[in-house]
Amino acid sequence: MGSYLVKRLAASLLTAILSSIAVFLIVRAVPGDVVAQMLGQSGGSGSQAEEALRRFFGLNEPLYVQYLDWLGGVLRGDLGQSWVRGQPVMEIVFKAFTVTLQLGLMTLAFATIIGVPLGLVSGLFEGRRIDTAIQAFNILGLSAPVFWLGLILLIAVSSLFAWSPPLIYRTPFQNLSDNLSTLLLPMLSLGLLQAAAYSQFTRQCVVGAFSEDYVRTALAKGLPMRVVFAKHILRNIMISLVTFMGLILIQILGGVVVIESLFALPGLGRLLITAIETRDYPVVQGALLMVVFSALLVNLLVDMLYHVIDPRVRVDA
Amino acid sequence: MSTEAPQLMQSDPKLSGAGRSRGALKRTLNFMRREPSFALGLSLTVLILSIALFPGLYSSVSPTDIDTTAALQPPSAAHWFGTDELGRDIYSRSIHGTRVTLSIVAGAMLISAFFGGLLGVVAGFVGRLTDMVCGRGIDVVLSFPPIILGVVISGVLGPSITNLVLALSIVYIPVFFRIARSGAITETSRTYVEAARSVGLTGRAILFRHILRNVMPLIMLQYMILFPLVLQIQAALGFLGLGVQPPTPDWGAILEEGKDYILFAPWISLFPGLFIMVSALSVTLIGRGLQKRMNR
Repeated sequence: MGSYLVKRLAASLLTAILSSIAVFLIVRAVPGDVVAQMLGQSGGSGSQAEEALRRFFGLNEPLYVQYLDWLGGVLRGDLGQSWVRGQPVMEIVFKAFTVTLQLGLMTLAFATIIGVPLGLVSGLFEGRRIDTAIQAFNILGLSAPVFWLGLILLIAVSSLFAWSPPLIYRTPFQNLSDNLSTLLLPMLSLGLLQAAAYSQFTRQCVVGAFSEDYVRTALAKGLPMRVVFAKHILRNIMISLVTFMGLILIQILGGVVVIESLFALPGLGRLLITAIETRDYPVVQGALLMVVFSALLVNLLVDMLYHVIDPRVRVDA
Repeated sequence: MSTEAPQLMQSDPKLSGAGRSRGALKRTLNFMRREPSFALGLSLTVLILSIALFPGLYSSVSPTDIDTTAALQPPSAAHWFGTDELGRDIYSRSIHGTRVTLSIVAGAMLISAFFGGLLGVVAGFVGRLTDMVCGRGIDVVLSFPPIILGVVISGVLGPSITNLVLALSIVYIPVFFRIARSGAITETSRTYVEAARSVGLTGRAILFRHILRNVMPLIMLQYMILFPLVLQIQAALGFLGLGVQPPTPDWGAILEEGKDYILFAPWISLFPGLFIMVSALSVTLIGRGLQKRMNR
């Protein structure tokens, strides 16, 4: 376990560093550069204003110096200042992240509660009518664009129940019921897709397990289906289901970008888009870094959990 | 399927071209009878392709004609899907958007299948340092959730069709890379590769003449499986205003325009979304059918 942990952490760390370089470079891939864009037509190159701005943003340094400066800040927990809002990026990003995290965890819970049981039923009754119905749900759920589903839900609740979610976001500590009713539709629109994905995956696991020797043996020695299912199948597919949970969480982390924009939630995705639009690069970098690091962390946690559930798994397995 | 054809030819040289295609047709028809969902997917795809190729057959109204006297009209006999805030016909915009949207998705995926597939096959076949360097690079791309990377690339570079295609193709290179790499690793350990080596074939010849040909079906199947996903991401980027710019009709872009009128004129958003869903659905059904066939 010890050496595995070290290897796994080293791999994650390497990816984290490479990703941070990518984050840093993406922002600098703009045709022209930030200063030129800020000055627009009025500045003209080589002007004093351009020089001053360059120095102010630290853009007069070579790229690697800029990167190391930024990385040093990141390690100290300092992501710089927002060029637009003037606040520390760390503060802005962290605040947005809490919104995204809450939505993400709620969606994950919803997808798991709906998706896994559906998948189990569908796998157990492979080829029956209920399996066909659940598979139809899966395919439809996977085909509908998330944001479109969000739009449809908005139309549906407003025309059927004459209800629309509160326009201003409140944290759960300010007003829990407002908070939850704001997040309800975003959770549903993201969650249905993920529930469909989870259900399809669970079904595959169950169907796969049925063709395994240990299940055939267990059934052949006369164990009741109930016991085989609970003790043999469930326990063996659990590990795949947990891994998939991590994958889904990462998917949700991406999916929130669109959903947050649609429902005007002040989360990480919307922050990222606004920051890109206003060319607020320290915020873009900060938000991106937060997304990438959370995705890496989720992957790492899933791998660790793997170990706890099934000690047979080793690093190169 | 593509691997089957040359084998058939070798095993029975007398079989005429017409006979062969009739046999293939019969097999396909039989398969469609057993798998009605595959048949449904195939017919829907044919329909959608015909819309993409000949939009004029389905709609005679221009998708960009502005008529402010007919703005925000609900669906009617004159405007089947209603009109948008500028009085443009949503039916015509959805029909003409088919070619725009689908060619962006298909083109971007071709690019990522080409580069991802090539890199993957080479990495899997050569192994060692090449494999490690490629693998790390791919890990970095994979550490970004797909939509986020798409948003950042097309957002930072500025919204245009070229940047959208670039963003989508970069996002999906890793998927093709992984499939091609694992396929190439499996193929490299097969006896025929050893045989080819022993008769003196160069690595390059083995790679391009044998391994690539056997990995190709995997890449093609992956293309089908990914298509609905990429379509949705393309639409999402369009919806965020990062894709095709107005007045060009594109499903995601129409949805973006309809967003502000969602409660007064829901039809603007309803129909293009249905087009996306049906296209995604039909390709998914075909992909599932092909997967079943290949597994057998």
